[in-house]
Amino acid sequence: MTHDTQAAEAGHAPASAAWPIRLDGVSVTYPNGTTALRDVSLDIDAGEMVSIVGLSGSGKSTLIRTINGLVPVTAGTVTVGPHTVSGLHGRRLREVRGHVGMIFQGFNLATRVDVYRNTLVGRFARAGRLRTLLGVTSARDREVALTALDTVGMLDKVWSRAAALSGGQQQRVAIARALSQEPSIMLADEPVASLDPPTAHAVMSELERINAERHLTVLVNLHLMDLARQYTRRMIGLRDGELVYDGPAAEATEADFEQIYGRRIRPQDRLGDRT
Amino acid sequence: MNAALDSRSRTATSRPASERPVLALPPRPSRLGQTVATAVVGLVLLVSAATLDVEWSDLRELPAAVAEYAALMFADPDWSRLPRALFEMWRSISMAWLGAMLCVVVSIPLGMLAAHGVGPAWLRLALRGLFAVIRAVPEVIIALVLLTVTGLTPFTGALALGIAGIGTQGKWTYETVETLRDGAADAVRAAGGGRTALVRWALWPAALPALLSFALYRFEINIRMSAVLGIVGAGGIGSMLANYTNYREWDTVGMLLIVVVVTTMAVDSVSGALRRRIMEGA
Repeated sequence: MTHDTQAAEAGHAPASAAWPIRLDGVSVTYPNGTTALRDVSLDIDAGEMVSIVGLSGSGKSTLIRTINGLVPVTAGTVTVGPHTVSGLHGRRLREVRGHVGMIFQGFNLATRVDVYRNTLVGRFARAGRLRTLLGVTSARDREVALTALDTVGMLDKVWSRAAALSGGQQQRVAIARALSQEPSIMLADEPVASLDPPTAHAVMSELERINAERHLTVLVNLHLMDLARQYTRRMIGLRDGELVYDGPAAEATEADFEQIYGRRIRPQDRLGDRT
Repeated sequence: MNAALDSRSRTATSRPASERPVLALPPRPSRLGQTVATAVVGLVLLVSAATLDVEWSDLRELPAAVAEYAALMFADPDWSRLPRALFEMWRSISMAWLGAMLCVVVSIPLGMLAAHGVGPAWLRLALRGLFAVIRAVPEVIIALVLLTVTGLTPFTGALALGIAGIGTQGKWTYETVETLRDGAADAVRAAGGGRTALVRWALWPAALPALLSFALYRFEINIRMSAVLGIVGAGGIGSMLANYTNYREWDTVGMLLIVVVVTTMAVDSVSGALRRRIMEGA
């Protein structure tokens, strides 16, 4: 804590200060010839919570994966905080990824491993090779991981195997894993698409709270219009890899959504209100 | 044939409905491959039977011969050497177990590195080549080579089993790792983890049950193989069996065979049950 204050006083940003994201003319064409993104430019401020809305196949997963370099861009540049992600490789790319937390639709936990060590993966990803191999943790690693679990309300399940948890609980652990990286950006790729409505609202609230309390930049992929309106201020619409909407989420009209979806609104485009 | 079907279905759509509708059957995939394969297998069978000089008439005498030796061995097995037999069986089991451990300890890290998405391409190819070469050399040959270095001891047997198993065990390991459709690996990558973190925190926990099960299976295979290795002098129950067969002491051989079969079946069933437990828990 004192270290962070000192760093801030010395003019350095603390480890977990939010980062802005900038995409400049980004296009992605996969090796099989599919073009997933066409000339997308975006500016997201540090600490913003933004939703990316579009049907499946619209390129929103690709967009979010260009930000941590899981998908390399074909053209254009991606900048997060002080780093240009596009063109980075190997150790330096992994270094940037360490500052970017990510959660997935399928949770992606090691299901046979307990919650504690799943959360520690966020620490091990950047630890030395030998410490990673042997699973040696520092007091700080343990503190950060347990605090992250406490934040998402999963501390009481710390010794449970991930496979024994419900979907919503697994996603909370996945959030804790990402938080234990002490990230500057949080990416969420369809985080609630595998969850039932009440659980989906709970997980979205969790992301909202993390954005508010930790001042992280949060970017979340959604395909449901009401979740985007309810939890995010700004919404980005993608259709066929092109940016077709960028504006306040709350004021987006049915017509705007029909334009993003490229068809009429259907009942399944809404999740339903919080219960 | 296909052309005829096509033209009929085309005319059917344009004709009045009074005609019986023709089902638009998609063209049947060619079965040429299957036919050729069957023919080749049949041919190989015929050629090998012809070139082996098989005396089919010998088959008629076989049951009588089997009955004769079975009577020699099992009518009145000689149990006086049972303690010695059990001791040698125990040495064989130790040999099998030591060999299995040796094999697993070497093949898991090497197999992991040989998997796609883990090791670099040059290392992957080199390791796969190594596994393939080891698979091509029979255990007995490896044991015969080792005998000149380590002498006529069960340790030679264990070493031979350990080395010989690496080929298959390594292949199983990388195939297992490659079939893991594991999101945890994506998560580790996204968090900035390198190869070590990927293997240790995503692949290892997911592959562990399968690898443990393979290790036990290797032990089962080794129990059987250790009897064979005994025949070339690597010690254990195999050596004892070979010796008493040479002395033509059939009643002792009968007792030894009973010990081998009962022990092997017991180990197989315990190990098999353990493997089922491991995979169910997975």
